Amino acid sequence: MARGVVATGAEGSATLKWIATIGLLLVVAIPCLFIVVQAIFPEFGSGSFAAPFSMFFKTLADLDLFSLAGNTLLLGVGTVVCAGILAVPLAALRALFRVPGALIWDALLLIPFMLPPYIAALGWIMTLQPRGYLEQLTDIHLAPLLFSVTGIMLIMGLNTFSVIYFVLSRTFETIGARYSDVGRVFGAGQWRSFWRITLPLSMPGLAASLLLVFAMSIEEYGTPAALGRRIGFEVLVTGIENRISEWPIDLPGSATLSLVLVSMALVAFMLQRWLLTRRDYRIVGGKPQAFDKKELGVWALPVSLLFAFIAFLATGLPILAILATALSRTISGGLAPSNLGLDHFKELLGAGSDGLVALGNSLVLGSTTALLAGLLGAITAYSVVKGRGRFRIVLDALSITPNSLPGVVVAVGIILAWNQPWLPITPYNTPFILLLAYICILLPQPVRYATASLHQLGDNLEAAARVCGSGPLKAFVRIIFPLILPSMVTAMILVFAVASRELVASLLVAPVGFQTIAVFIWQQFDQGSAGLGMAMAFCAVLITTLIPLALISLLRWASKGSVAGLR
Amino acid sequence: MKRLSFAALALGLLASTAAHADVTVYSAGPGALIKNLAAGFTEKTGIKANVFQATTGKVMARLEAEASNPVADVVVSASWGTATDFAAKDLLLSYESPNAETVPDFLKMDGAVAQGVAGLIIAWNTESGTPKPTDWSDLAKPEYKDLVTLPDPAASGGTYTLVEALIASDKTDVLQGLKDNGAIVAGANKAALNPVLQGAKAAVFAGVDYITMSAAAKGETIEAIFPESGTVVAPRPIMILKSSQNQDDAKKFIDYVLSEEGQQAVAKVNLMPSRTDIKVDRPLIGDLKLLSNEGAPAREDVLASFKAIFN
Repeated sequence: MARGVVATGAEGSATLKWIATIGLLLVVAIPCLFIVVQAIFPEFGSGSFAAPFSMFFKTLADLDLFSLAGNTLLLGVGTVVCAGILAVPLAALRALFRVPGALIWDALLLIPFMLPPYIAALGWIMTLQPRGYLEQLTDIHLAPLLFSVTGIMLIMGLNTFSVIYFVLSRTFETIGARYSDVGRVFGAGQWRSFWRITLPLSMPGLAASLLLVFAMSIEEYGTPAALGRRIGFEVLVTGIENRISEWPIDLPGSATLSLVLVSMALVAFMLQRWLLTRRDYRIVGGKPQAFDKKELGVWALPVSLLFAFIAFLATGLPILAILATALSRTISGGLAPSNLGLDHFKELLGAGSDGLVALGNSLVLGSTTALLAGLLGAITAYSVVKGRGRFRIVLDALSITPNSLPGVVVAVGIILAWNQPWLPITPYNTPFILLLAYICILLPQPVRYATASLHQLGDNLEAAARVCGSGPLKAFVRIIFPLILPSMVTAMILVFAVASRELVASLLVAPVGFQTIAVFIWQQFDQGSAGLGMAMAFCAVLITTLIPLALISLLRWASKGSVAGLR
Repeated sequence: MKRLSFAALALGLLASTAAHADVTVYSAGPGALIKNLAAGFTEKTGIKANVFQATTGKVMARLEAEASNPVADVVVSASWGTATDFAAKDLLLSYESPNAETVPDFLKMDGAVAQGVAGLIIAWNTESGTPKPTDWSDLAKPEYKDLVTLPDPAASGGTYTLVEALIASDKTDVLQGLKDNGAIVAGANKAALNPVLQGAKAAVFAGVDYITMSAAAKGETIEAIFPESGTVVAPRPIMILKSSQNQDDAKKFIDYVLSEEGQQAVAKVNLMPSRTDIKVDRPLIGDLKLLSNEGAPAREDVLASFKAIFN
């Protein structure tokens, strides 16, 4: 650990350290602890400590485990490769050149975050399967590609590549043309300076976002469940989900498999740490930087076409499939004009509809989660990057753990922890339990984003503040926080989008009689009203996209461009 | 914005803590049914019913995780096996509702009674261009090559019951025929039905009757066909947990579900009412030829035999 760590000049604030520690203990450590206990003591759900380890080794010795773990690894790596190939060129183009309509592409590429993966997968199935929308329009179908391991990787790559795109384009931009211009002055070609200067300096952003995509894809349930089950491709998370959602329930087995999944993500996390601590990546030194982007010239059209094509695949096609299903009165009626109408939307938005209540619930929960997770995430990342001592690695590891815990396992851990009979007061069976679950599941996102930007922040800024007489807390609030704010806004938008459509944990821990967007959609599918479910999905995507966009415009207007990165 | 959110959450908190004296029902689908039953119950008795609705698996997972401090009073499941399992673990309150008199004996046991019954059928897309199937074995014919889906018995209690009956009566050759004909195993009931609705596939082997009938009522070109050689039914048990702090109101809820009004609500979603004296316009248990599950092996063995064929 100690080798290669850049000596930091700041000591960090003790208050912030304690906030981070207590917050993480409460939100992450407690549910995780109960999952470990459940894995060891199979009867723990009923409050008994009988027969320790009896199920633990049985699950680990199961031959299925190897194929599940192997498939998980294959899917994770494949998805990262697909997402990387899609994202890196786009991010470089977006950051270093004046791409026509850049803000529009940004907005469009934000939408995959808002699309619940199981809805997107369903959209792809209904488009590409025989007699799907594509065949109804063009007489070809792509079922063999769709129902294959490659197909699952491609679709998951399309769902996740915008994570890399946004982090990386911001990082490339912060590095600016400035450092590579220095290289150019010394005679390097454009490619050479990109490969030797810009790309290496953006390693923190790239590594962080690749890791995030890896962790997201090994934790993702919707797509592998919708596509993989038909071809017998099971991964750890579907194995875990099946053990929990198919009677007879096997809580210890799913807890044990989750521990395997968590250890895989922790290995990826150690790898990322090792990459980050090998060198010094600090590039924000307090000197003013010029943001000069180059012109594309004759390449403007091909580059625009590339953006358009990828944006269509990632955003346009799933949205159109959702809209087509929402507008179809019956699924068997197909795209015939006589079968299309606004019936489902009228039913959804009609007076007394459960849908509107669910929508309101999710928006309140989503925005509260975004604020709290963003704050806790920034404080945690600050304590980890700028603090000292051994506790840092514990905090860091705790903050990434939920990323690899399937939502359903977090849900079980939370129920086990917060429904103990001896607790005098508990958030269980109130909406606060969903807030706890969402913050736990989504905390890794703001932590990753904040860590990446803090790694690029020189200590001289904070040191200067301390010399001028401000305390560590004030230095954080006045200097550090504004500088990482652009990254935090991106992270909080992501948290808002995912929290307002989270399904698997919500299904299990939602208080009695409480509906969220995703639970409502899922129940519509379960009733066989796919059209109504898709109408809700469409409205939800629209709202969760427009609110953050409005927020960004508002911030840009309020800050008049003085906050870097919000231009 | 922030203050508003907290205010709303605080309200939600108050609302749900105030709800502790009410009956809490954990119910497997269909959602419309439990919603109507809860509303009707409140109207009739003035007691509020709070509902958590999910799949049988999710309901069971939540019950298991809550085992040290149970929240639910009444549980409705879609699989009779869950009731026998709970009874064996001594979790159920023994209660014979006065309204259960006309429920046939095989639909009740000590601690549980059927709320309604689903039947297993062939769900066939009438626009698929295939001949109308009349029996399970038809779907193994060349006309249906690569055009059949079936729910996974591990995920669908109904399909499990049918596979169990086929194994018990030594008719596994039907399953082998399906496999050889390119049939795919597609998750739970809805995942198997969706490709048939759009026309990617022609028929679901072991579809669920009420889901298919409800889809047809909405205008989907789909038909529920009861196979000639016989089928199985999946009774949906309703039970009171022994741990309930509110057993009297829970009993009233069971009474309401088994009342004429409650059974009509069951029939409204195309399930068969469990009382034989409720008249409904659809094939009822008495009209069906039933396959026997007598002598079927244990659950793991049934699933293992199924997996051995479809893998």
